[in-house]
Amino acid sequence: MRAVIVEDLALLREGIVALLRENGIDVVAQAEDGPGLERIVAGHKPDLAIVDVRLPPTFTDEGLRAAIEARRRHPGLGVLVLSQYVEPVYTTELLASGEAGVGYLLKERVGEVRAFIDAVQRVAAGGTALDREVVAELLRARQAGDGAADGAIGSLTPREREVLELMAEGRSNAAVARALVVSGGAVEKHVRNIFAKLDLPASDDDHRRVLAVLAYLRDG
Amino acid sequence: MHDPATSVPQPSADSPPSASWLDLQIAFTLLLAILMAVIWVASGFGYFWPAWVWMGLSVPIALHVLVLRTRARAPGAERRLRLQAELSTGVAALLFVIWALAGMGPLWPFWSWLGLALAYAAHAIVVHRDWLPARAREQALVERVDVLTRTRSGALDVQAAELRRIERDLHDGAQARLVALSMHLGRAEQRVADQPEIAELLRQAREDAGAAIAELRDLARGIAPPILADRGLTAAIEALARRSAIGVTIDADPDRRPLPVVETAAYFVVAEALTNVAKHAGGAAARVRVTLDGDETLVLEIADEGPGGADPEGSGLRGLRSRVEALDGTLGITSPPGGGTTIRAELPCGR
Repeated sequence: MRAVIVEDLALLREGIVALLRENGIDVVAQAEDGPGLERIVAGHKPDLAIVDVRLPPTFTDEGLRAAIEARRRHPGLGVLVLSQYVEPVYTTELLASGEAGVGYLLKERVGEVRAFIDAVQRVAAGGTALDREVVAELLRARQAGDGAADGAIGSLTPREREVLELMAEGRSNAAVARALVVSGGAVEKHVRNIFAKLDLPASDDDHRRVLAVLAYLRDG
Repeated sequence: MHDPATSVPQPSADSPPSASWLDLQIAFTLLLAILMAVIWVASGFGYFWPAWVWMGLSVPIALHVLVLRTRARAPGAERRLRLQAELSTGVAALLFVIWALAGMGPLWPFWSWLGLALAYAAHAIVVHRDWLPARAREQALVERVDVLTRTRSGALDVQAAELRRIERDLHDGAQARLVALSMHLGRAEQRVADQPEIAELLRQAREDAGAAIAELRDLARGIAPPILADRGLTAAIEALARRSAIGVTIDADPDRRPLPVVETAAYFVVAEALTNVAKHAGGAAARVRVTLDGDETLVLEIADEGPGGADPEGSGLRGLRSRVEALDGTLGITSPPGGGTTIRAELPCGR
């Protein structure tokens, strides 16, 4: 897999590059600011771009804007945004900006090496990787939109809610089963119940299920 | 010939106000004066009547000089005061001359002099009332308030700038280093996967680093949420509304961004007010209005249709008030029992 990275702090950029290379991911180019993303993506046609939200020259949401623009211009490009904070508005904008693989993770997740590499590979393969904090915020917003706890999400059992959260992070059924240490069949059953309670169309495809869940949460 | 500076307080003859015209006028007047003296001599001396004519002749010259002197001064209260002084002196001198020529009986011009002096004194007091002790104190206070307003607003700007700098430093400094630390710990953890005890210690260390990062994140968010700095007040309030447990409608469209210090205060006022609504208004929806009144005042209104009866001295509302008052703003609360609650904050945003 070929990846590029845009991060202005050399300390983090070099660390992430080393981490990715150790895990067999080829980092083909690096940049330090928003315009740099477009330059290296156009020049190297990578599978994945990893982008920090806050970049020069404005040090606001420059990286997010550049990431959204890159998703629009390069439909096959997976984009993984790293940030030091969760802002549901930004996640929603990012999710809505394209069809290819996309992710939004808090920066400290790079320390959970296996999960981080999983997320990187998932996004490069066209899947989704959302930070659990992002999912919690989306759930909170959706529940607020439903009005108190008697909405559809309020009707989920604690286990179903756990499964929903893991799915919303972008995990496949098999990965959910691994994370919860239950059988694949048990997860299947929970997923069917969740989709029935939230009134979502059933699907056998992991990725489409994730998208359905995210669309449901985003509309909150 | 009498002193040409004497004058009477009446409209001057329409003499062109220039020095050469004045010279001409003086020469002509001297000629007339000499002519009078010659006539007096030719008519066999007798009562010295030319003195009266000379006095009359001196008046237009004095007026001419007065006009020239007055025009040379800057307009204003001080010029009017000087004009009065010179006119009064002239009138006083004229009266003295008349008294002297009329045979120096009882000093009757004294009363006119007294009147002129009193009028001048009254005028002078009005013009220089700043020199009076009470007035001077008042003036000093006005100036002090000006200075304090300016320095306080400066201090708040500096404080806001400092807070944003600290937030930046946290982001690029401590937070980034902790992220790097947890990344290195993660990589080390991977390499000692076959030594579970060491791996577990490293995992714990990484979790501690993660907790520290989360604490710094909360701290930075308390200074100002990122979306406020990135996108401004309206976007930040919309984000608040999306996260709120109650329905919130927003009517906000200031066409320019207030100073960061005002923006941050406004954000926290709305955040705190919405929290109060969620807590006390029994699930009632809230309405937020943000308007810029004449580019000088940012007006925030947060209204709900809950049960009302909010205690203006409650800790939440007191906190809001002190935040607003620190910026020289005002906070009003209307909360009749059964009639909903409206919080209105006005924040000056000009300098």
